[in-house]
Amino acid sequence: MDAIELGIVALKCLVIVAVLLTGFAYTTFLERKVIARMQQRLGPNRAGPFGLLQPAADGVKLIFKENITPVGVDRFVYFLAPIVSMVVAIMAFAVMPVADPITVTIGGQVREIRFQLADFNVALLYVLGITSLAVYGLVLAGWASNNKFALIGGLRSAAQMVSYELAMGVALVSVVLVVGSLSMNDIVDWQVAKGLPLIVLQPVAFGIYAITAIAETNRAPFDFPEAEQELVAGYHTEYTGMRFALFFMAEYINMITVSGLAATLFLGGHHLPFVERFTGNLPWFVDIGVFLAKVILALFLFIWIRATIPRLRYDRLMAFGWKVLLPISLANLALTAVVIAFLAR
Amino acid sequence: MTKQTDVVAAPAPADVVAAVHKQLGERVTVDDGGALVVGPSNLIDVVRALRDDHGLDYLANLTAVDWLDRFEVVYHLCSSAGGAPIVLKTTTDRANPRVPSLFGIYPGADFQEREVYDMFGIRFAGHPNLKRILMWEGFAGWPLRKDWREAYFEQEHKPLTSRWPDGQFFFGEDKLTDWGSNTKLPPAYTGAEIGRPKPQEGQYVVDIDALRRGTSFGSDRLVVNMGPQHPSTHGVFQMRLVLDGETVVDLEPVMGYMHRNHEKIGERNLWLGNMPFTDRLDYIAQLGSEWGYALCVERMMGLEVPERAEYIRVIMAELNRIQSHFWSIGFLLNDLGAFFTPSLYAIEEREIVLDLFEMATGSRLMCNYMRFGGVAYDLPDAFMPLVNVLVNERMERAIDEIDAYLTNNEIVMERMKGVGVLTPELAIAYSTSGPVLRGSGVAYDVRRADPYGIYDRFDWNVVTANEGDVYARYAVRIGEMRESLKILRQALPQMPAGEILGGKKAWQVRVPAGEHYARVENPRGELGYYCVSDGKANPYRYHVRSPCFVNLTSLAEMCKGYKVADVVAILGSIDIVLGEVDR
Amino acid sequence: MGENWAFVAILTVIALTIPILGILAAMVLAPKRPGTIKNSTYECGLETVGDAWVQFKVQYYLYALIFVLFDVETVFLYPWAVAYQSLPLLALFEMIIFLLILGIGLVYAWRKGALEWI
Repeated sequence: MDAIELGIVALKCLVIVAVLLTGFAYTTFLERKVIARMQQRLGPNRAGPFGLLQPAADGVKLIFKENITPVGVDRFVYFLAPIVSMVVAIMAFAVMPVADPITVTIGGQVREIRFQLADFNVALLYVLGITSLAVYGLVLAGWASNNKFALIGGLRSAAQMVSYELAMGVALVSVVLVVGSLSMNDIVDWQVAKGLPLIVLQPVAFGIYAITAIAETNRAPFDFPEAEQELVAGYHTEYTGMRFALFFMAEYINMITVSGLAATLFLGGHHLPFVERFTGNLPWFVDIGVFLAKVILALFLFIWIRATIPRLRYDRLMAFGWKVLLPISLANLALTAVVIAFLAR
Repeated sequence: MTKQTDVVAAPAPADVVAAVHKQLGERVTVDDGGALVVGPSNLIDVVRALRDDHGLDYLANLTAVDWLDRFEVVYHLCSSAGGAPIVLKTTTDRANPRVPSLFGIYPGADFQEREVYDMFGIRFAGHPNLKRILMWEGFAGWPLRKDWREAYFEQEHKPLTSRWPDGQFFFGEDKLTDWGSNTKLPPAYTGAEIGRPKPQEGQYVVDIDALRRGTSFGSDRLVVNMGPQHPSTHGVFQMRLVLDGETVVDLEPVMGYMHRNHEKIGERNLWLGNMPFTDRLDYIAQLGSEWGYALCVERMMGLEVPERAEYIRVIMAELNRIQSHFWSIGFLLNDLGAFFTPSLYAIEEREIVLDLFEMATGSRLMCNYMRFGGVAYDLPDAFMPLVNVLVNERMERAIDEIDAYLTNNEIVMERMKGVGVLTPELAIAYSTSGPVLRGSGVAYDVRRADPYGIYDRFDWNVVTANEGDVYARYAVRIGEMRESLKILRQALPQMPAGEILGGKKAWQVRVPAGEHYARVENPRGELGYYCVSDGKANPYRYHVRSPCFVNLTSLAEMCKGYKVADVVAILGSIDIVLGEVDR
Repeated sequence: MGENWAFVAILTVIALTIPILGILAAMVLAPKRPGTIKNSTYECGLETVGDAWVQFKVQYYLYALIFVLFDVETVFLYPWAVAYQSLPLLALFEMIIFLLILGIGLVYAWRKGALEWI
């Protein structure tokens, strides 16, 4: 690894972080605008044209907010929790391929630049592992706050995330079964080669993934760890200012990550599997656009669901995860295995 | 799911009184007002006989009057089958006021007795949890006694000649101590901890350790204060929850954060001066509150209300009911965790009704529209066409829309069905009213049970649902909105021309000495006003029987055994307005 | 392959600096006016009753235990799934038996009431 490559990697990391933070800011903006329209309101429209500078104004406000540290907290864990949440949220995006590689000549050397930070052959496991670390941030925050609402929120988040992670993991095994690889690029390439997005072959797995993704990111109607009506603000009740903002960012970045994962695993990633049969491979900037469009579509669904559906009850949520989703995903897995055994051989 | 029932006619109160008098002999006497009078020692027996033998299974109202030489505790009992209430009175001396508690017969006496204890210092023997309910623990004094002088406004003669006798322009409050010089504070009070006195012997001791003591495997219970600063308590209302995991083991409602002693202020105000003040009770259903008070005073004065005013009142009250139910359904969904969308759709309709109120009364919330003997202003010319469009075209669609989106929604049903079940027997025993009572299958609507105004002229049904859960209360509200529309469709074309204010025009009304308990069916239930006049310019006693306050008595019963999330839904289905709970 | 982990390490460092920078910026820029009431634990505006660090219900830990069991078994599925298409048909039956055992475990926990959230 020479200096130029190191520079490229560092640049990629910075770009990932910058894009995720901007993406977070404009996801909140999109959410506020879309929900406002759905509720016959206008939404933010004062800061900048169409309110486009609203996220910046929010960010500035949050930085200038006083950070109140309640007396009863476990200080170390209390400070650690938002950082854990945030780091984990950013890291999960590392394996996401957003466009085909391009070759450029830098300093007389021909180099291949991949639009992906790390191309693991176990990328899927990496994502699952990293996203399941996210629960630590929430549990630690809930416990360290020494607040009953936060405690219940933290415990809920732990139980909810592990329960739904299980169903998600089993559902994704059937995707791996079809493709035969854990690498993101392999999965995308497989879909392009077959000309079919995996959502067509694995609709049940996609359904389970969509539900569990909403639950994993603690979004409505599964936003129990921070259920406002019951737990005030759940695990981040005692967090203010920037520290609260970090949890908020982590939640939205996780949304972007699971949307990206859905696009990659089920929707053909940065390709248009069916269309590209006729057009041939599209240039890299179109790839990015395609990927972005799929992510925004998924984010829009998140927002739409939030504006529409009331929250379930917590025990029903757990029952749904264990007694409905897990058996269905196990059955789907067995069925997939059988079908592959007798068709694909 | 909902059914519509007619209420059978019940015997007139005079007949009941006569029958009781005959049965119980000299243990009861009948006073000039037709009320039964009983000594405290016989009270339990007499009430039990009234409930078991005469069908008076519903304790509508419980309050007290300070007659300077004695306290009189007043009970209004009626039958859940309908009929006007009968009045039962018992007296106790002022030095050591003690009356047996009716808690064992009517659990609905719980909060009402605590309120009387709080305000008058009358001890109810046998009450399991007799402590202050609206005032803060440790408050010294009994605010509704006539010798208790109200902070800042104490004067020998009420009403005041001037609120600022010396022509001061600053707030008198600032010159006084924390609570005003005439407020009695506990001996150890230093003022350092405003509103948070040290617990004294025998009061306000919550044994946290006892509440927390464990269940299986040495796990602890969690004692959580939900409220007063909580997003879903509909205001400054507190519930002290004892949780085992997430299951509610015990719940105690704590209220009074918004207490302003409405009744004491009402006794200082002139009779008419209370009219705008009633708007501040249930600010979501303001015109119903006004109507109840107007009805009470009109009956005491013997005023006739002109036809046109009666129609205007019905139209206003039913519009009010529709907008109030829209509001409560919207916020019930909010409590279930829907992100404001249903409530904003509901509020859109409510805003239109409020526009009409503004047009007719000049104000959207604090309407101050009713007068004794009619209403304050005639409707403007533009009002009728608009209200016709609203009633005949828009509202029906809006209700259908809410109905279509919510009633059969999977999650809504999952969250509401089978949650917070109240059996009909318990609903009556707890003196609940309004959609809570009718959601338990009891067809009790004051408009039908004890008709007032001109409701007997219209064809409408009392909506009930049998399940007694949150969903049933929701369904009753949807049904009632439709019934209100039905009443409006009949009332609007019949609207006669003519006077809007009967009686002699006077700035100050003279209410003859006497007493009356008048009640109306407000969107949240039976709203009653108990007024006593001694012929002066202000009421001698002014009591509000608040449906929200009394409905809350059943909250603990409904919540036990359900989850934390259900508590919020159940509270939302009772639909309290804190302005009325705390008064 | 190994260099990929180095890339992730670089990202971790950068990801760590972001929240720390944010918190530091807030520490410098935000006002600091602590007060006893302001810094007290939030419990809807009242003094807290009892401690929040309690022994929570034991059923809660059952979830954690069941999760660990199932998650370990799920991890076994991944290598099988990757290699599945090059394995003989026997792999199918082996895994079906494995899934059955998993399913029986789930049914057992279910019947025992371990999946009831309290």
